[in-house]
Amino acid sequence: MSANAVVRQRYPRVTARAVSVRAWWQALGEQTRFYGHTLYAVLFALGRYRGEMLRQIAAMSMGTGALAVVGGTVTVVAFLTMSTGGVVAAQGYNQFSQIGVEALTGFGSAFLNPRLITPTTAAIALAATVGAGATAQLGAMRINEEIDALEVMGIRAVAYLASTRVAAGVIVVIPLYCVAIVLAFLAARVGTTAFYGQSTGVYDHYFHTFLVPGDVLRSFAVTIVVAVVVMLIHTYHGFNAAGGPAGVGEAVGRATRTSLVISAFVILLVTMALYGQTGNFNFAG
Amino acid sequence: MATSSHAARPPADALEVTALGLIGSTATRPLRGVGGFTILVLQTLMTSVTRRFALREFLEQLWFLARVSAVPAFMLSIPYVVMAAFTFNILLIEFGGADFSGTGAAISAVNQIGPLVTVLVVTGAGASAMCADLGARTIREEIDALKVMGIDPIQALIVPRVVAATVTALLLSAVVTLVGLIGAFFFSVFFQHVTPGAFVASMTLITGTSDVIISTVKAALFGLTAGLIACYQGTTVKGGPAGVGNAVNETVVMSFVLLFVINIIVTAIGFKVTT
Repeated sequence: MSANAVVRQRYPRVTARAVSVRAWWQALGEQTRFYGHTLYAVLFALGRYRGEMLRQIAAMSMGTGALAVVGGTVTVVAFLTMSTGGVVAAQGYNQFSQIGVEALTGFGSAFLNPRLITPTTAAIALAATVGAGATAQLGAMRINEEIDALEVMGIRAVAYLASTRVAAGVIVVIPLYCVAIVLAFLAARVGTTAFYGQSTGVYDHYFHTFLVPGDVLRSFAVTIVVAVVVMLIHTYHGFNAAGGPAGVGEAVGRATRTSLVISAFVILLVTMALYGQTGNFNFAG
Repeated sequence: MATSSHAARPPADALEVTALGLIGSTATRPLRGVGGFTILVLQTLMTSVTRRFALREFLEQLWFLARVSAVPAFMLSIPYVVMAAFTFNILLIEFGGADFSGTGAAISAVNQIGPLVTVLVVTGAGASAMCADLGARTIREEIDALKVMGIDPIQALIVPRVVAATVTALLLSAVVTLVGLIGAFFFSVFFQHVTPGAFVASMTLITGTSDVIISTVKAALFGLTAGLIACYQGTTVKGGPAGVGNAVNETVVMSFVLLFVINIIVTAIGFKVTT
């Protein structure tokens, strides 16, 4: 105690820095513990809190509040992937026609959509809609002391609130991803053939020649991993919101920021792990 | 229960008493949002040219936004451009044209990923923090207090925030593009064994000044739109902690949707204008 006091007085700045580093390190440990606990409790939640999980699936796919009015998460995801598909058409067609091979736009769609664009778009859409919504809900519950009330009633709060949301997020992302990739392909095709006037036969020929079905499945796997990561981060920040109404807003912002960055790295690493050094692509067929 | 949910709704008109009116008011709520947003945009435009510009608030907001979004910008642009370079290089190595990997990196970094990451950062980091801040002020009735004191909140708070968001987005897009290109350079040269000289030489093969200008215009539009949406959502918050959380959530969703639309439109127009 006395030695501590002497060190603190002699080196105030170093001590302050050390304390902040320790706090940061401790927060990291707390987060890891929360993630482990949440994932472990998914099994428990599947058995015991099935009703809550179904309710979460319904709420996530249709959305709540103002989101429900415009058609929920499905519409937002559909809209985002349609616009990225449109960008593939606009950018791909124009860029390819600069070197005289605009016929390859179909190839661009088949190659870039599953490998690069749809997983990232799905991650963004998930973080913005389902994830941020979960943080807002859980944060408000924490501020209103509803989470403490749950624990007092003998309900396992992490399993009931966090694990059900993570599991529901993974279940919702499966149909969501199917909608996303179909619309991305469709939007690129319509953009290229209807707006830029390429013949549909040329587009379909190159599209089908270069579409690797395995790519679609692999990008599906990437998206599911991303869904788990995004839901974990967002539930953690909601679960540990503090500081009144402003705190909830800040928690939502912080969660969105963190999950966007982390999901970008996760997508990069999982993509490289799945496709390998060579890229698993043969142009000659 | 019924009364409390009724009280949370925006000021009810006589129509809402009937069931038909209830359906009607639910159906027109998005339209009311559009109307309210349009009013805010017009007021902001008018105020920004007719009234004195709040320079101090602008500088503070600029610093706040830059501080909030600088690290996410670095952290987001590197993985995205590296992933694009990885995908393009697979293709180019297959063709035997690995020397052109700089071209692919430049197209993806300048034309699409630069603006995209700017959208993500400006919205996910900047606009969400701005909306949370304004929302908390609205909940604590600070905005009403300003009005009572005769201070126009649009002039004092919203105009400097919107301008700061626009300027930050402009500056960020340059940083994002540069950081992404440097990341792609190191990844291509050290992990995929592309010749460094060929990478640099091929960067400007297709991408030119016009692409950089389009990218900058996009970034400015993104910042403007995200700032306006954040201010609208922040000043119309209702209903305590859950309301602030939902407002931030809606800010992020709406900005993403609108900015993706702006991206595709400006991409198409840009190609029409420059080629």
